[in-house]
Amino acid sequence: MSARNKTVFLGMSGGVDSSVSAILLKEQGYKVVGVYMKNWSKDLPGMKCPWAEDLADAKRVAVKLGLDFEVFDFEKAYKEKVVDYMLAEFKAGRTPNPDVYCNEEIKFKLFFEECMKRGADFIATGHYARSENGKLKLASDTNKDQTYFLYRISKDAVKKTLFPLAGFRKPEVKEIAKNHNLANAYKKESMGVCFVGDVGMKDFLREYIDLKPGEIRELETDRTLGYHDGAVFYTLGQRHGLYVGGGLPYYVAKKDLDKNIVYVSKNLNAKDLWTKELKLENLFLRDKNDFPSDGKIMVRLRHRAPLLPATFKNDTVYFDEEIKVIAPGQSVVFYAGDVCLGGGIVAE
Amino acid sequence: MFMIYLDHAAATPVSEKVLSAMIPFMTESFFNPSSPYLPATKVRAKYETAKNQIANFIGAKGNDLVITSGATEANFLAFTSVNDVIRARVENAPKPRILVLETEHASVLENAKNYDFEVIRVDKTGLIDLNDLKQKLTDDVALVSVSLANNELGTIQPLAEIAEILRGKRFERLKKGITAPLLLHSDASQGLALIDLNVARLGVDLLTLNAAKIGGPKGVGALYVAHGVRLKPYINGGGQERGLRSGTENVAGAIGFAKALELLNGHQSAKRKKYLHLVEILKQELKSAKVEPLFLGNKKHQLANFCPVSFPGLDAERLIFALEDREVYLSTGAACSASKGEPSHVLRAIGLTDDEIKGSLRISLGILNDEENIREAGKIIREEVDREYERTK
Repeated sequence: MSARNKTVFLGMSGGVDSSVSAILLKEQGYKVVGVYMKNWSKDLPGMKCPWAEDLADAKRVAVKLGLDFEVFDFEKAYKEKVVDYMLAEFKAGRTPNPDVYCNEEIKFKLFFEECMKRGADFIATGHYARSENGKLKLASDTNKDQTYFLYRISKDAVKKTLFPLAGFRKPEVKEIAKNHNLANAYKKESMGVCFVGDVGMKDFLREYIDLKPGEIRELETDRTLGYHDGAVFYTLGQRHGLYVGGGLPYYVAKKDLDKNIVYVSKNLNAKDLWTKELKLENLFLRDKNDFPSDGKIMVRLRHRAPLLPATFKNDTVYFDEEIKVIAPGQSVVFYAGDVCLGGGIVAE
Repeated sequence: MFMIYLDHAAATPVSEKVLSAMIPFMTESFFNPSSPYLPATKVRAKYETAKNQIANFIGAKGNDLVITSGATEANFLAFTSVNDVIRARVENAPKPRILVLETEHASVLENAKNYDFEVIRVDKTGLIDLNDLKQKLTDDVALVSVSLANNELGTIQPLAEIAEILRGKRFERLKKGITAPLLLHSDASQGLALIDLNVARLGVDLLTLNAAKIGGPKGVGALYVAHGVRLKPYINGGGQERGLRSGTENVAGAIGFAKALELLNGHQSAKRKKYLHLVEILKQELKSAKVEPLFLGNKKHQLANFCPVSFPGLDAERLIFALEDREVYLSTGAACSASKGEPSHVLRAIGLTDDEIKGSLRISLGILNDEENIREAGKIIREEVDREYERTK
């Protein structure tokens, strides 16, 4: 397919990945329009969301490459579809993954539709993923692969999406940025919650969810070890921030939201911390034909985690070997070879 | 280093002379000026001398100054004068109000929001509408704040005339038996390098100064406080600066500020001529661009080093980035991404259209400019304007 005369709308975040994507698409001969998606953000006292700087960085790169540049305002939709959803999930005691919903609802839905309306032949993003014959596949850089966050994006969007970084490794991407003298190459990668900047999720949640003190108890003995400021802030399997000092680390083994009690255990082998199966809800299966007939698939439990062998039947994943428990609300993503099959959300 | 810097209204480099004057007060003469032993009292003396030098520059005494962390703090401190009026006012008297020029810097406008305030209009050149001032200058006004020169347009305000109007109002109020003070504050952050300043001649009660705009260090400013004006200190502690601003004195900063002023002294007129000439060269070059430039501000009452201009229809932020790539650095009043997308309230106030605001550049010359690099800058800006024009055509 010739790139000549084809128009690509590229989502530009100001980071190195989308910036290098712009360079690659331009070199391939596409007419590239850079777009910054203005999503909802919140300034917390003492912590400013860096969106304004990100937008400036994105525009700077676009101007450097001589691209047209636009800003799409998705603030309202983002607040409703991603932020409100996320808060509701946390309040219900689950641990959602906002990036998954941002990709499903905003980048590969609203953004995709808007670009098509404006005459784009393709959209593109700086994700490490591959789109091939309408299928979503792993990127060459398996360490950076981001399909975990993309498993719910629509099939229509995948058909029309270019992932210019599909065949590149991160160090190569940084090298290209340096060769083109892009300041972003030296920028620290953003961590934190994307819509509040470098803030911990808990700091963000505290703005919306009332603190409610409760007990931290030892799973095995029911002994009170200390106190927490709200069970909803704790995630199953988490080992940080339990305010109970000394010796081996404690892990969150169970939460009783009704009684507002967090149960912890030092025993990594505690049976509540391990399981061989996960029941899923809200399944999104990309193409049933891609599933092996025996149901044997590979499963990813979090971004960059290793692929684990398992069997998928009805709405449950049966792992070959025991896994550490995954918090309800988290995504479980399926693969067969390099094809992403979709996935689902861990049920209670 | 090839760089053409056209943003002296934002920051200026500290010269070698200023720097070497400052260094001893961070190294061998590091003593706390409040300490009791001889080397410390010598530092105290140097600090007081520096304050006197800064004050003399505006026709005041060292004791009239409060050294601050910059113009923003000085403006904040100036506005506390209103609290004295609030405290002193007689029962049933109207709540004191503040008048500020609508084109003031955020550090003035945001402070005004803590009080009852109203804005005074400007005309299309950014000059104060004196009739609007007279009309709004009612008996309950406690403070009027008008900057010496605007930081985006360089428009110089007729402070002496404004002071005269206030003086008349004071007499009128006294006749009616109103004794509440009516003060005039001016932020003189811009223009210190080019305008002869004398607080008595200007008739101001409070004057904000800023070292960073005249080749002094950042983080150093001063507030001139006329006799009889009472401020309410907000930074409390050891009682430095006559109890108005506690905290160990920024000795090196004050020394640097004084040195920077000393280097300016007597050269204002020659500098004005130099910059007028350079601005003219720049304007000629810009006039040959494919988009006709709209020069902003007041031709007669404008800081000589300012050349605010708009290329209507173009995206100034794109120009900034394209110019940055060619190592030409300047600012914009357009809705700049980095300023969170809000277009300049100053350019709105002078009635520019959206297109004119979007295409606006703020060019401010200074110590780093000469005829050669201004010619080069003019050529580069013109080229980038033309390129943007062709792109959007």
